[in-house]
Amino acid sequence: MMFVHFAMKNIRAYRNRSLVTLLLTTLTTALLVFATAFMDGSHQKMLQNAVEIYPGYVQVTHQDFRDQPSLDNMIFDAKAVRQVLATTPGIAAFAARFESFVLFAGAEKAVGGMLTGIEPTAEEKLSRLASSLVSGAYLADHDGNQLYMGYELARRLKVKVGDELSFVGTGADYSFAADNLLVKGLFKTGLFEFDASAAFVSKGYFDQVMAAANYASHFIVLPANPSGADLLAAELNGRLDQQYLAESWRTTMAGLVQAMLVDSIFGYLTLAVIFIVIFFVILIYTWLTVFARMREIGVLRAVGTMPGQILQMLVTESVLLAMASVVLGGLIGGALAYYFHLHPIYFSFSEEQFKQYGLAASSMPTAFAPLVILRDMAVMFVLAVGSTLYPIIKANRVSPMEAIHHV
Amino acid sequence: MLLQIRDLSNEECMIYTKVLAVVLFSVLVSGTPVGASPVDDIVKKVEDNLNGKTAFMQFTMVVQTKRSKRTMKMDSWSIGKDKSFIKITYPGKDSGITFLKVDKAMWQYVPRIEKTIKIPASMMLQSWMGSDFSNDDLVRESSISEDYRGVLVGEDEAEYFLDLFARPEAPVVWGRIRMHISKKYFLPTTVSYYDEEGVLVRVLDYLEIKSFGQRSYPTHWLMRPQAPEKTDHLTEITIDHAVFDEAIDEEYFSKRALKRFSQ
Repeated sequence: MMFVHFAMKNIRAYRNRSLVTLLLTTLTTALLVFATAFMDGSHQKMLQNAVEIYPGYVQVTHQDFRDQPSLDNMIFDAKAVRQVLATTPGIAAFAARFESFVLFAGAEKAVGGMLTGIEPTAEEKLSRLASSLVSGAYLADHDGNQLYMGYELARRLKVKVGDELSFVGTGADYSFAADNLLVKGLFKTGLFEFDASAAFVSKGYFDQVMAAANYASHFIVLPANPSGADLLAAELNGRLDQQYLAESWRTTMAGLVQAMLVDSIFGYLTLAVIFIVIFFVILIYTWLTVFARMREIGVLRAVGTMPGQILQMLVTESVLLAMASVVLGGLIGGALAYYFHLHPIYFSFSEEQFKQYGLAASSMPTAFAPLVILRDMAVMFVLAVGSTLYPIIKANRVSPMEAIHHV
Repeated sequence: MLLQIRDLSNEECMIYTKVLAVVLFSVLVSGTPVGASPVDDIVKKVEDNLNGKTAFMQFTMVVQTKRSKRTMKMDSWSIGKDKSFIKITYPGKDSGITFLKVDKAMWQYVPRIEKTIKIPASMMLQSWMGSDFSNDDLVRESSISEDYRGVLVGEDEAEYFLDLFARPEAPVVWGRIRMHISKKYFLPTTVSYYDEEGVLVRVLDYLEIKSFGQRSYPTHWLMRPQAPEKTDHLTEITIDHAVFDEAIDEEYFSKRALKRFSQ
């Protein structure tokens, strides 16, 4: 307690020096807390967008479909899979899809794309297809040859809502499939590649023209608790026939997950470089501060103060300053993280770049995670105190006579 | 030649011998004959024999997959290697679908949607009528002599073995094609297709050579894809009837014909 008292007194006595140390550490802590919140938040947002726009949290496919997505590796008994999904607890919604690569032909030109049969009502709960509508109307379950297509695909084919176009493709039985379609609605998810190649019809109609009754390329499943997607996938694998495989988004979108991980690593490496620089700045500043007080240390030693007691006093000063800075920096960084969590940052200028990477979001909320903030504060505390230890120990080793005569 | 060398001075003789050695070494190392390549002549001859000046054929295509087996019947008309017209005649569901190939462009007409569609470049690698042939096969196959450089890699009593390498500027799918050619008929017997990484993708066997008038022609084709996911796939073409080198109406090779001859 006595050391705390002395330390407080010294902090007040060397007000300017204390203030500079306090500001430096506070700003660094706030920066770390906010940078981490922004990095985590943007990654979470990108992943959430990528998952929810179309792929979904859990997919059920034939076990070979992922490696060899051919018509030989479809789900050929969709009813059986549907039954398992309907009786498995923890599922909020599910629906079947059948994807097929076809040639779309408008009045002027033809382009290749993905025609998918979906269950429109169920699909509304599972993906953002319906909410991405920009023109016309979304599909209904009983629709016939009505098409809901990507805005960019419509632009490439030069068609609009109400126009007719045709498709030519291969049915589920490898037979020739073709029909005329009527554009019912256009969607824009923001994922450029997706909007430029995807189109949807109701699965009832699709099954009829593509000979795909009771077939599906995959089922998409929304867990009641999306963060428990892995557990639900494991549960489903225990219940489904062995020829089928349930996988969470962490597997189906492993590439994106890896990309985010790599991005995080590079983010932390950049922060580490910044903090190493800051560590040495604090170290040098503490060095100057401690050696400026060398005469005082010499006098203390001359009147019988033990080196250990001086060490404790100086370290207490450092700990008190670091603690105050870290708390203050944590509060500032945390407040910023909370604010931008509620009011995401909008990058209108980089929308095109986001599209190039297949990312729909140009508005990024920060992540507000108290435990992560506390972790960052602890890191900064250790860094701030650690950077002062060497100068303090070094100064304390100087003999009383040398210290008194120190200029 | 020896007489000429004898007439040269010793120094000139040395130079001459060195040049000759370099030329011979180049030929041996490259495996390609210098100047007009006899290998290219073989490829050209094979191509001419497969295409004929004109050809009318009726053939049956059976597409076998892991789950199904489908039979289609077609009529085809062609002039040389640049123009061909195909009409599906069976099954009834697909009857009347027509395809036109002129040079390297391809169109199809589908009666059900009453539309003529030009197959875009991006769809060229897609399966043709659900078979193991692609649209690209119909368009590019006939230009092997232009797009590939041939090297004779071996021969036995009955066959030549050629490796065909894609020319650097050629817009082709295959990195290498290994072709076995009958010495008797100058027709292919087995053609193996490798991708740019050297992986064998598919093998096409030409079997049962029969005579049609003055010409011999393989009447049974087997396309066997080699990809692990397609081990159960097989496309079989049987030539039921063929007439070569007789006049064919040029009308077949216009876009108008796609609809007109669809009936």
